[in-house]
Order: sequence, then structure tokens, then C-alpha cells
Amino acid sequence: MTDNAIDIEGVTKRYAGHTAVRDLTLRVPAGSVYGLLGPNGAGKTTTIRMILNIIAPDTGTIRLFGRPSSDPKITERLGYLPEERGLYRKMKVKDVLKFLAELKGVRGKEAERRIDEWMERLSLKTPEKDWGLAKVDELSRGMQQKVQFIGTLLHDPDLVILDEPFSGLDPVNAQALKDTVVDLKRRGRTVIFSTHLMDNAERLCDSVCIIARGEKVLDGAVTTVKEQHGKRNIALALDGGGMEGIASILRDTSLVRRADDSNRFFEIEMAPGADPQVLLRRVIESGASIQRFEMIQPSLHQIFLEKVSRAGPAGEAAAWAHVEEGMSGHG
Amino acid sequence: MAKLWTIIKREYLERVRSKWFLIATFLGPVFFAAIIIIPAWLASRSKATNEVYSTVILDATGTGFGQRLSVAIAGDTTDKRKIPQVRIIAPAMLSAAESTATREVMSKDKVGYLVVTDRTVAGETARYAGRNASSLPDMAQIRTALRQTILASRLEKIGIDNSRTKELTFIPLDFTTERITERGRGGSGMASVMFGFAIGFLLYMTIIIYGQTIMSSVIEEKTSRVAEVVMSSVPTDTLLAGKVLGVGAVGLTQQVLWITTTYVLLKLREPIMAKLGAPTVSFGLPEISLGAAILFLAFFILGFIFYSSLYAAVGSSVNSEQEARQAATPLMIMIVFAGVFIQPVLLNPTGTTAQVLSLVPITSPIIMPIRMAVTGVPPLEMAGSIGFLILGCIAALWLASRIYRVGLLMYGKKPTMREMARWVSYSR
Repeated sequence: MTDNAIDIEGVTKRYAGHTAVRDLTLRVPAGSVYGLLGPNGAGKTTTIRMILNIIAPDTGTIRLFGRPSSDPKITERLGYLPEERGLYRKMKVKDVLKFLAELKGVRGKEAERRIDEWMERLSLKTPEKDWGLAKVDELSRGMQQKVQFIGTLLHDPDLVILDEPFSGLDPVNAQALKDTVVDLKRRGRTVIFSTHLMDNAERLCDSVCIIARGEKVLDGAVTTVKEQHGKRNIALALDGGGMEGIASILRDTSLVRRADDSNRFFEIEMAPGADPQVLLRRVIESGASIQRFEMIQPSLHQIFLEKVSRAGPAGEAAAWAHVEEGMSGHG
Repeated sequence: MAKLWTIIKREYLERVRSKWFLIATFLGPVFFAAIIIIPAWLASRSKATNEVYSTVILDATGTGFGQRLSVAIAGDTTDKRKIPQVRIIAPAMLSAAESTATREVMSKDKVGYLVVTDRTVAGETARYAGRNASSLPDMAQIRTALRQTILASRLEKIGIDNSRTKELTFIPLDFTTERITERGRGGSGMASVMFGFAIGFLLYMTIIIYGQTIMSSVIEEKTSRVAEVVMSSVPTDTLLAGKVLGVGAVGLTQQVLWITTTYVLLKLREPIMAKLGAPTVSFGLPEISLGAAILFLAFFILGFIFYSSLYAAVGSSVNSEQEARQAATPLMIMIVFAGVFIQPVLLNPTGTTAQVLSLVPITSPIIMPIRMAVTGVPPLEMAGSIGFLILGCIAALWLASRIYRVGLLMYGKKPTMREMARWVSYSR
């Protein structure tokens, strides 16, 4: 027996034109919240599908709770929320949930009890209205997402896999999802999520793995990862005025190695040997009104950009494009 | 196994509960009943119309011939309105009477007039003019009545008693016709041809309708992305099998309901026809042995598995119903190819074409049951047909399951044939 919920050992998956996942080795400790990070097309979904035994790896092994992932018994301990969500549109909500529960081995009265409990918890069943009797079609998008969460969690899985769970969620449902993840973690369940939204990952995950172009770039506990990349980063926040001078300071490569410009907020990685005090002085001299100037550990976002841009020739531009897309799309 | 059952149950219940299933299942027998009853009813309508009773008889014989003719046309009826009016006319006045009658017909007071003269009594000529002159049944009835009346007056002339002439001349002949072709007599053979056609047509329609149902169901799962959730819980082969079996069971349910109600309707046909006032022609249902019934069922199930698994594969490879319609064309051609041969095989069920087509899995599920319905099939041919069809099903399922499990996860552009061929080679 092992303490790992997931052991991925040297897994490779090739398709006709390309290699989706190359020699991936991962361990996800049981009871942790684990982030699978990477730009679109990095191989996250392929990895998840292999964990779920939807597709089989060409080489390598995947073990879940110490058993091969192809063990039919294991699937009943897994809950999966795919990136693109959907339900049978013409079916009654309750029937869909019963169907999903039955596929996971929860039947009859027990399934109904759990469905009612969840429907009430997510206020899909109130004294006035029982949405369980409505057809999926008749629900709003937000409600359909709730139904989908219920479907994922109904059988109380030991391992919950959420693929881009925040995409398309309204703020209320996003919060409900975060609460649920925290609750699952407290009850000792393992949660994996794949995302390209670094902020969420940084706040929720115990450990992360960054993959790019099918290969692991880095993995480990979030705190360790940040320590390992504990270069001197500066968080700089400005109060509107005096922006003109800042741009030229940030372009000074003797001082700044890289800067993430979010208009009023900057995360700045110092150039090797540069003195943060010099930077501070220059910013003051530029006439900018400083709200915050702090030496920090790099954010996952920074680490991600750095790692992903190094991972291949297409480089930073591609990584940026993906992150930006993710942020504007769902952030 | 429990999961397979869950999939089958969902496919079955969702479809059986849908209103389209209810409508189709209810309308099917109504449609069949219409096919069986309406032609017979129309045939009964082609007996003489009531118009014939509104004929005027212009009697220039001076012998009371017109009166007797009138009774003969009216037949057994006691309804006064159904007895044609008789006008006794002096021969010299005949042309004037005819113009009067013509005007009456033109103003639609009367339908037509019949002129009887001495020459009519002699059995030489009679004249009719009227709006219904082109109605063959009406004219036939008048002609029969004329002959009967002429014959009766001849019999009287040679001294046969008036009361016996009716008995002698009244010939209620029921004239049935039967066609002989190069295959021999039609007759009861016709019933089995109809039965064979019904079986072939039913299989043909069911395969098309439920094959496309499976295809739509797969597309729905794929486009709504439910497929991925389900695939994380059950192997794709189980999902495919559950679909084919679940939808197949719906098709079977519908057929059983159709066949049962149609059978009952046929049994009730005579009372129904009697109610409609139409004479009934006995309609012998071919006797089907239990063995034959099991074979029909086997061909239905195997044919359904063969085609529906291929339909599922097509559904999994496309991204929308529109794409599917195009992608399913080769399948449609295969089925229509089989459909085209329904009639030739009915006409020549023992020929080489029929023999070959009932061995090829593409056509055998439709062609072989037809042959079974109309002729005896040698056991060896039967075994060959079933054997090849089972092999065909295994091949279709193998191919379909491989396309299906890859296709369900492939979004974006429609795959080419070459890409699909490559999918088949993927491990999983």
C-alpha cells in the first residue's frame, strides 16, 4: 500500500502527428489538493484521461491508491468534472443524477437520499421549487454547473479530478466550488485540478506540477517550489500618476530581468546582482506615487512563465498567449 | 454488467417515454390498418353507385318491358327512391321525350335515361345517355338488368310461368379473378408475398430509423460532452454495447407492438369491413412456425447490431447532425442497396441474386427474411447466411468500437477516411 493517491511512472502517449505526453512521472499524495498546471495543449487533459482510464498510455504505468488504473473497482472511487461540461439535455435533472450515481455504483434509495441532500445544499431544491423534476434544458447555465458538480461528487469519491473547473463559472459558483474543494480536503479526499489560472492554483493547491509540451517542467509542494525559485522579486503597486517614467526603468536590463506589467501592479524579477534599493530610488525619482514596494517570493504565475518559456523554442510568446487567454477568458 | 444494465435502461426508458415513440407506435397500426382496410373499402365503393337508381327509363315497347327492367335494376330493394322511374312513350313521341329527358339530365334532376324499344326486347339494341355513362360498374349493372329482363320475357314467350322466370334469370354470380404468372397461380401465394414484403419493409425501416436514432444519441453525448463523464465510469465498449442494446430493445418493443396490433386488426378486419358495409374477402395470414419466428428475430437482432454499431461509429466521428448526414451516406447507400432488391427477390426468391444477397451481411438481414417468408430456404444456405452475418457483426463491432472510443474524444474538424483508418490502429 502506498500513501499516494496517484503514481504515474514514465508515461508516454503518442498520437499520429505528435507526442501528447512524454515520459511523465508524477506522485500525488493522498489527501492533498494538487494542481496540474500548463498552457493549453500541454497534455493536461490527456494526462487526466489516462488517469481516468479513458485512454491508455503507450508506455508506463498509472496506479491509483496502489492499484492499476484499469482496475474496474477503482473507477467508483473517482469523480471527474471534465473541462467541457454537459448533461443529457432532455432528461430530468434527477434522472441524470441517478444515472450518473448508478454508473458509480450508488443505487436506489441511497442515490435518491444523496441527490436530495446535495440539491438542497446547493439550493436547487427549496420548499418552493424542486429543480430535480425539471429537464436539464430548463435550468440556467449556473444551475446546470451545480448539477454537474453534484454528479461528480455524488458517490463521495476518494479522488476528485477537476479539469479547468473555474472556466465559465460565475463568481457565486466559483466560490461554491472553492468551498467544496476545501471541504473535500478536510475530509481527507484528494483533489486534482488542472488549470491555467495561477492565482486559483496558488491559493488552493498544496502541490503543483507544471507541464508544457507533454513534459513535466517542475513539481513539488507550492511552498517548496516558491522557495526554490526564491529569487528576489519585487511587488510594486502604483497609484495612477507618473507611469511614463516607470516603463523606461523596467526596460533597464541591468536592473530588471523580467517584469510582469499589470498596469498598476508590477511583479519584477531583479537582474542578477542588481540592488532593489536602486530600483526603489529610481521609481521614487520618476515621480510615481508608490502604494506598495515589497520584496516577495515569486508568484506561481511568474514561475510558470519562466519555466514554460524555457521549455521550448516557441518560448515565452506562446506561454504568454496562453496565460493571457486564460485570464481574459475566465479570470 | 450492472453498468451495462444502467446504460441500457437509460437508453430504453428515455426513448420509450418520449412522445415521438408513443405517436409512432400508435400511428403505426393505424397506418397499417389504413393500408389494409381502405383499398378494400374503395373496392367495395366501385360497385354501382346510387346514381344508377336515378335513371329514367323511356319505354317505347308498349309491353311493360320498362317496368320489369326498372325492378331488375333496383334489385332486391324495397326503397321506392331506388326504383328507376319509367315513362311509357309512344314510339312516335320518342324523340320529344328524349329531349325532355336530356334537359332533365342537364339540369341535374336526373342522371341519365335509358331508351328501350322493340329492338331491345328482341335483344338487339338499347341506348343509354347520361352523366354516368363512363362509370363501368353503373353500366355493368344496367347491362345485366337488361339481359335479365330480355331473357325473362323470352322465357315467358315460350310459356314459362312468370313466377319462375325470376328464379331462372337471377344469377347472383360472385366472380373472383386470379392471376397466373410464370411462377404459377397467384392466390394464396399473394398473401405470402405481401407478408414477405411487410417483413422486408419493416426490417428496412427499423434499421434506418433506429440506426439513425443511435447515431443522434451518440452525437448528443459527444456534443454535450456527457460522453466524457460516462467514459470515466464505464469502458467505451460497454457504453457502445449498452446503446446498441438499449435502442435495439426500443425498436423491438415497437415492432412487437406493431405486429401484435396489426395481427389483432387483421383478425378484426371482417367485423370492421362489415361495419363499413363492404364485403369481406378472406385474408389468410400465413402460419409462422416458432422456429421461423426465432429466425426472423435473429435476423432482426443481428441486422440491427450490424448497422447500428456502424451508425454509432459514424456518430462518434462527427461534430454535428449536419456533418453526420453527410458522413452516414455510405451506410445509407448500403441499406438502400438492400432495399432496392426487396422486390426482385420477392419475384424470384430462389434465383442466384437472392442466394448471393442473402449471404452478404450488408443485405442478408433484409433479404433472407423475405426469402424465408415466400419460399423454403435450404438449411445450409440458412446456416451460411446466419454465420456470415454473425461474422459481419463481429467485424462491424470491432471496427465501430475502435472508431467510437477515439472519435468520442476528438473535437474540431471532421476526420477524413484516412484519419479514421488510423484511429482503428490506436491502442486506446
